[in-house]
Amino acid sequence: MTENGDATVKVVPVRHVGQWIAAAFALLLVAMLVHTLFSKLGTGVYSCRLASGIRRCHQIREWRFSWDIVRRYFFTSEILHGLLVTLELTALAMLIGVLLGVLVAVMRLSSNRLLSSLAWTYTWFFRGTPVLVQIVVWYNIAILYPSLSLGIPFSHLTAVHFMTKTVITAYVASIVALGLNEAAYMSEIARAGLISVEEGQTEAAMALGMTRPQTLRSIVLPQAMRVIIPPTGNELISMLKTTSLVSTIGVVDLLGAATNIYSVNFLIMPLLIVASLWYIAVTTVLSVGQFYLERHFAKGALRTPPPTPIQRLRRDLKGIVSNFRIRRRPAEAVR
Amino acid sequence: MTTPMVEARGVHKSYGGVEVLKGVDLTVVRGEVTCLIGPSGSGKSTLLRCINHLEKHDAGELRVDGDLVGYEARGGKLYERSDKQICAERSQIGMVFQRFNLFQHLTVLENITIGQIKVKGVEPEAARAKARTLLARVGLEGKEQHYPSQISGGQQQRVAIARALAMDPKLMLFDEPTSALDPELVGEVLDVMKDLAASGMTMIVVTHEMNFAREVANSIYFLDGGVIEESGNPRDVLSAPGTERLRSFLSKVL
Repeated sequence: MTENGDATVKVVPVRHVGQWIAAAFALLLVAMLVHTLFSKLGTGVYSCRLASGIRRCHQIREWRFSWDIVRRYFFTSEILHGLLVTLELTALAMLIGVLLGVLVAVMRLSSNRLLSSLAWTYTWFFRGTPVLVQIVVWYNIAILYPSLSLGIPFSHLTAVHFMTKTVITAYVASIVALGLNEAAYMSEIARAGLISVEEGQTEAAMALGMTRPQTLRSIVLPQAMRVIIPPTGNELISMLKTTSLVSTIGVVDLLGAATNIYSVNFLIMPLLIVASLWYIAVTTVLSVGQFYLERHFAKGALRTPPPTPIQRLRRDLKGIVSNFRIRRRPAEAVR
Repeated sequence: MTTPMVEARGVHKSYGGVEVLKGVDLTVVRGEVTCLIGPSGSGKSTLLRCINHLEKHDAGELRVDGDLVGYEARGGKLYERSDKQICAERSQIGMVFQRFNLFQHLTVLENITIGQIKVKGVEPEAARAKARTLLARVGLEGKEQHYPSQISGGQQQRVAIARALAMDPKLMLFDEPTSALDPELVGEVLDVMKDLAASGMTMIVVTHEMNFAREVANSIYFLDGGVIEESGNPRDVLSAPGTERLRSFLSKVL
């Protein structure tokens, strides 16, 4: 480079032959997979017609993945309604999970031994039993507590009284079960976030005269969010799909709707594809949301925040353009 | 004679069986600068943290501005103060930490306004105006929108001083404010502290900067092993140490 004293010397990068072969092979596999996705299968049924006295027949061929049927069911009202139920369950269960989870985490970190052991026990219990069991138990909770009442403990004075069955419907049982279970996982995530914030931040806030709740809300939690958000996004996406368990107690969510349809017409694969595509679509939207949320809470933590995909694209394009200009310059200089 | 700003009589403090302060006596006169010096682990920082009740002292009497720290004496009994009262006490005492402890998720300006807004209930606009004045005072105009991670250690420590001053404290505590700084950044922070001392602020400074202590302090306390070994006028204490311990300490730091 330095011999000629200018930047026109050609730099030859190392050729990674092995990588090229591996990449070509991977590409081949991908191409084969994509081909099967959009290939057709013979049905065994023939369609025939007469043309100038000769009967010509050809086998009817259909999409291997029944894309036409998938398209037909994709926006039906049953599926869309099921999707709505899935989204509702996900949102409500996560809301309970996050709020209760933060509360349990704060309790766990409390200097009060009773509070912290209560929090530990909560996590231990709800993480220790399968969520499917919890859903079924909540659905059948009326067996244990046939009626619910609000009043003075250990007395017969009650203010409100109702039958459990009327309140804890399958839908409510689903939200409660998923929410309480999620809170156990979220509490550990929130705790990790809270203890990741340096002690000095709390001390500085206290030294200014801020109360403990103020310190938690304005100083510790916003900084803990940076650590809390990525695993919470993970939990949210996981929850979206865990809600499909509620179809076992008769709630018609996205999977429930698909099951209801295929149990009548036996189009099992197309309807499972419909449901899966919807799950993937929602997951994609959530992932994009997570990226921007993370960026928001990274404020101050990084000197230069990472570029958004759009910014990166713009930068890359600019890079290509300027690269092109630089390449041309030496040629002009030679002239 | 007016009451001293800080008065400590026989202050004790232990951490899990280890006695860090073994009966400390100290008097800080209003408007004066007091420096605490001594080897690490001698209890300087602990004493400082007891004064604004970040740590609870176990025994002895500790008064700030005539009031007992953390307790109220009524009818021959000591009543522990509520969290709210302790927060009110702390808000009148500024503290500057060795590691700055600026709020990482807030801009420089927000660092200086948050205490005013949340604790004193100042209107955001007034708080921002005051923050800008203070930033000018510590020589950091134009850094309002930076985050702490984007400025140097010396600048961060000056912001931390401005953050403490924004609360209009009657007393400022400095816990080794220059120990975490690169040598070339120490001067800018000490200059701000000198200005502050000249303006008549009562200051207690835990420091290893002997030149600063000699130049600025009105009195100096040498702590070792949880007790005050020597105290007095900085010139006398530093140039004619009376104990062997102080002599050997000074020979190491000077």
